[in-house]
Amino acid sequence: MSTQKYPIKLEVNGEWHTLQVAAQHSLLQVLRDQLNLTGTKECCDEGECGACTVLLNGRSVTSCLILAVEVDGSSITTIEGLGQGDQLDPLQESFLEHGAVQCGFCIPGIIMSGKYLLKKNPKPTYEEVQEGLAGNLCRCAGYGQIIEAVLSTAEKAGEAQS
Amino acid sequence: MSTFQYYRPQRFEELWQLMVEYNNAFSLLAGGTDLLVRLRKGRTNSRALIDIKGLQELHGGIQEINGGLRVGALALMGDLVDDARMQQHFPALVEAMKWVGSTQIRNRATLTGNICNASPAADTAPALLVYGARVNILGSLGERTLSLEDFFLAPGRSALNPHEIVQSIDLSYPETPNGSSFLRLTRRRGFDLATVSVACLLIPEAGRIRFGLGAVAPTPLLVIDGSGVLTQTESAQVAKESALAKLAERATPISDVRASKEYRQAMLFALMSKAQHIASERLNQSRS
Amino acid sequence: MSASTTIPAESLVGKSLTRVGGRDRVTGAQRYIADIKLDGALHVKLVTLPVGHARIISIDTSLALQVTGVSCVITAADLKQPVPRFGPSFNDRPVLAVDEVKYYGEPVAAVAAEDEDSAEEAARLVQVEYEELPGVYSVERALASDAPLVQAPSLRGNNPLAHTNIINEWKLDWGNVDTAKADLVLENTYTFPMISHFAIEPFAFMASAKDGGITVWSPIQHPFVMQRIIAHVTDLPLSAVRIIAPDPGGSFGGKAYPKFEPLLALMALKTGRPVRLVLNLEESFQASRRASNQVWVRSGFDHQGMLVFQDIRADFMLGAYVDIGDRVVSKAAYTAAGPYRNPNARILARSLFSHTTPSTAFRGFGVPQVSWAIESQINQAAEKLGLDGLEIRLRNVAHKGELVIPGGTPADGHWEQTLQKAADAIDWGTPLPSGRGRGLSMGMKPSATVLSSNVLARLHMDGSLSLLMGTSDMGQGARTVFVQLAASELEVPPEKVQITMGDTSIVPFDSSTSASRSTVFMGNAVRLACQDVMRKLKEIATEQYGVAQGEIQIFGGKLHFAGRSLPYTTVLKDYFGPGRGEIIGLGTTRARFEPEHPLGGNPAFWELVAVGCEAEVDTTTGEITIHKLATVTDVGKAINPQQVETQDAGAAIMGLGHTLMEHLMLDDHGRLRNAGALDYRIPTIKDMPGSLHSGLVENQDGPGPFGAKGAGESGILSISGAVGAAVSQATGVIIRDLPLTPERVWLALQDKANINPSAIHSKSLDHDSGVHQLADGLK
Repeated sequence: MSTQKYPIKLEVNGEWHTLQVAAQHSLLQVLRDQLNLTGTKECCDEGECGACTVLLNGRSVTSCLILAVEVDGSSITTIEGLGQGDQLDPLQESFLEHGAVQCGFCIPGIIMSGKYLLKKNPKPTYEEVQEGLAGNLCRCAGYGQIIEAVLSTAEKAGEAQS
Repeated sequence: MSTFQYYRPQRFEELWQLMVEYNNAFSLLAGGTDLLVRLRKGRTNSRALIDIKGLQELHGGIQEINGGLRVGALALMGDLVDDARMQQHFPALVEAMKWVGSTQIRNRATLTGNICNASPAADTAPALLVYGARVNILGSLGERTLSLEDFFLAPGRSALNPHEIVQSIDLSYPETPNGSSFLRLTRRRGFDLATVSVACLLIPEAGRIRFGLGAVAPTPLLVIDGSGVLTQTESAQVAKESALAKLAERATPISDVRASKEYRQAMLFALMSKAQHIASERLNQSRS
Repeated sequence: MSASTTIPAESLVGKSLTRVGGRDRVTGAQRYIADIKLDGALHVKLVTLPVGHARIISIDTSLALQVTGVSCVITAADLKQPVPRFGPSFNDRPVLAVDEVKYYGEPVAAVAAEDEDSAEEAARLVQVEYEELPGVYSVERALASDAPLVQAPSLRGNNPLAHTNIINEWKLDWGNVDTAKADLVLENTYTFPMISHFAIEPFAFMASAKDGGITVWSPIQHPFVMQRIIAHVTDLPLSAVRIIAPDPGGSFGGKAYPKFEPLLALMALKTGRPVRLVLNLEESFQASRRASNQVWVRSGFDHQGMLVFQDIRADFMLGAYVDIGDRVVSKAAYTAAGPYRNPNARILARSLFSHTTPSTAFRGFGVPQVSWAIESQINQAAEKLGLDGLEIRLRNVAHKGELVIPGGTPADGHWEQTLQKAADAIDWGTPLPSGRGRGLSMGMKPSATVLSSNVLARLHMDGSLSLLMGTSDMGQGARTVFVQLAASELEVPPEKVQITMGDTSIVPFDSSTSASRSTVFMGNAVRLACQDVMRKLKEIATEQYGVAQGEIQIFGGKLHFAGRSLPYTTVLKDYFGPGRGEIIGLGTTRARFEPEHPLGGNPAFWELVAVGCEAEVDTTTGEITIHKLATVTDVGKAINPQQVETQDAGAAIMGLGHTLMEHLMLDDHGRLRNAGALDYRIPTIKDMPGSLHSGLVENQDGPGPFGAKGAGESGILSISGAVGAAVSQATGVIIRDLPLTPERVWLALQDKANINPSAIHSKSLDHDSGVHQLADGLK
């Protein structure tokens, strides 16, 4: 199948990439197939499950509903971009500590949604966490532990600041 | 997904040319949250995607205009819900937008896109209708403005001509005092498509109540009662119910995978009375 | 089986060790099948028809073959003849549709191309001429005398039911239902819908043929079942079939048995190239589901609420092929009468063919479908008899050691404790807030029967330990539990224990990761393997140091004898010298096959749960709000309490899904109307109950390590009965069909209001047409 390719530049996890992408390929496909960043997961392909959530110029989006070609010049953060070296991001640590991870397939997307939520609202209530993560499905349904993990991260960050 | 050509015009001239060149076999891309699903399911056969995000003129965000707000075509719902002016003057619309998809979707989806799809279940349409939104349309032959009511023609079909785009949506501040509300029935609490949605704007001094109704007719519906029955607290309950029932009769719901026609009809009435109730409570709060 | 049930003070048992493998799951480093690339792999796309049942007239692949990048298009005609058929129970499912399509989603052809886009485009261009045939899309249709036969009688051998759509009939009968005298008899019919597993990881498979053998990658729960089936369709010996099974991204039974792996194996052999197939979510919906059913039940009680008899007929709608569905029905039948003393019972469960997606294993394995009916009956009886849901169950629940099924495994726990704890957790007996209702229910599932499990434990020179085993870790946290058990047994630090799973060429045989059996059976095998290592350590110490074996003690990670204390490393170094070596221990567990037993043997333990729910109903819209939900499970001993509680909570929420919102819908052509995330609704984080309690009963009385029983499924067994009872109490209406969608609840309220408008908020005995007799004294 001959497909015209479009040149784009993407800053992914702090590093610039020059890529040739097909018009119909989603940001999700390009991250996974061309950049081999497979931490971002594919499930519903209609923006309903949130497994493909990444940060696009600092905002959480479902990367299955975005064409790679339309985000030329943008900055992307994926799950692989969290933490520093061997040091996990506090939210990742908290997910482990609270047993919020079961099969793990939805977790990268949920953590990215959680990062965005905490950035916008560093001290969310229980309900605000529910609202903020409502776009991410977890069929193992560790929702209670996930909420605890996010709340506890916020609490610890608050303590560190005060 | 089938392949297509991608364009990102920087000037309207280029846009008009592309529209002519692809003569209906194109789709306009703004947020893409709905379009990509349709493309993937093979529901559109566009040979070209024209990304309008390269057009600086459409990036106006929210501007104050005489007696109201102008929402640019590319304004994101995620930004609109956080805007203090929107929250102050158009609370029912903000509530409706909060129901659109998830945080991730609202971070990408535009208010304009939500109405351009002309879905009868579009979450924002009922609220925009009660606030009397006007749609500013730009085409190669010039500009025109339509009321939102006239904009919706049929499921998936708007009044846009093939060579036109929506430039912005104008919202006039409603007369004060007023009370408004938005309600929506879904199959679960988490985000979902609406089974029925209702927006309500109550303006007591005009004796007028406006309802926007979603997912109960081929297009979002605006129904108005100017008799005062529904704005006066002293009206008899029976009179109120009969006025509401009369308004609800305009709806022609269908049965689908989400609900039966009968349930929609009953819920429409229930939601309308609840929406009216909430709107009058809010009105009272704003007065006190 | 286990050497001791005493937990040493320093043991890791009962501690919530952080999930082993958790780190990769929070960093995105965990590789699920779709994340693994095979060099030079062809991408496969399946070609399906938009109907549930059709005769294939012709398939034209010429246009598809013209697409650049397409390598081949395979139809049944291109495979060896007769086309290989497979299945865990019967070899009834063809690798590709032969002559007929029997369910919506059954592939008629498969395209292989250099990239996904080309495969997709070519799949669209395969032209299939077909004639739609009348389909069997409901229980009623399956049993109708003029219904088309889903499966050709010729495939069913001498089965006397071969000329019907009945796959099998499971019958249990004890006491005498016909002569038993009851004061209250309730007769009703309940339905349970088709449910999608909806694991967030869609199905993905790969295969590669090399050096006369075949390797298949699959997120399969039971790699050794897959190995057997791939060997069968390829005619290769087991030793030439390697199954690589990375951790599934959720399975819940959906990935327990082969789906398209046999097709991929044959395509890899045919093309000589690795092949890869990743289904999208909609296709995944078409690949697996839970069986729907219809249960007619007549329950008799005496005036004190004691169960006198239960007469149960359950019809399960399986799909076009049996998969493991008939085994599901057998287990559902076996425990249909519940965890109660049943003096008289008659159970008939039938598995039926239909032109739908083959139903397969699903967490709870048939129990939720039957529990909904019989627990609802008990709740209705309680109301009629002026008892409450707790009292009636306390009177009937089997006490430890009592039989629930003649000749079966007796009640293996203090189930009344479990029940009481669930009631307490939702404040049973305290004043009820207005507009709310409360309900209780119980569920009981038979655990694994005939099986075997093996563990190889390798103690290395540096004192670290490798364990090799065939369990799949699909989110339940099996690795963590086994690390805890091994580290406790050999007293080595848990971080020095590594576990290898998911590769049949490396790990020893294991029957399956199913029926909540791994902690018990593989857990015991882990301990036995470690004990074998210790035995061998003593042997080499005897040889090396000349000390009698009886004089050696092992504790604290050291060998103690004759006043000396030597760490394992010293013993190994002294014994093996510079040539180095390792100690290999083997642990094996097995449950005997009893051919005459309906389940192949008595279950080793019962998975037992009690559920409590407090709910409120918006009588205008029919929406249900779950204020409190509690599950209490008898787990014997929680090796890792956090993991057990998390699984129970997840199972409970999954149970809320099928209770409140989930159901697959078919149109007149047998097509799924709501495949995918948009219109098949599962609970989101906002659908959590107001409070969710996951309680455990731990009396250390199970057959597993330290008295553990299995866990992880119990939470889903009986959510519906408790919610249904709470809704009934809140509204006065009884609904017998799931899910309890707002519309269904609203309709029931309308019906009730039409009969007696004032009755919406009051309970009434009069409207239950199911009451056949009511002793005079009761009124």
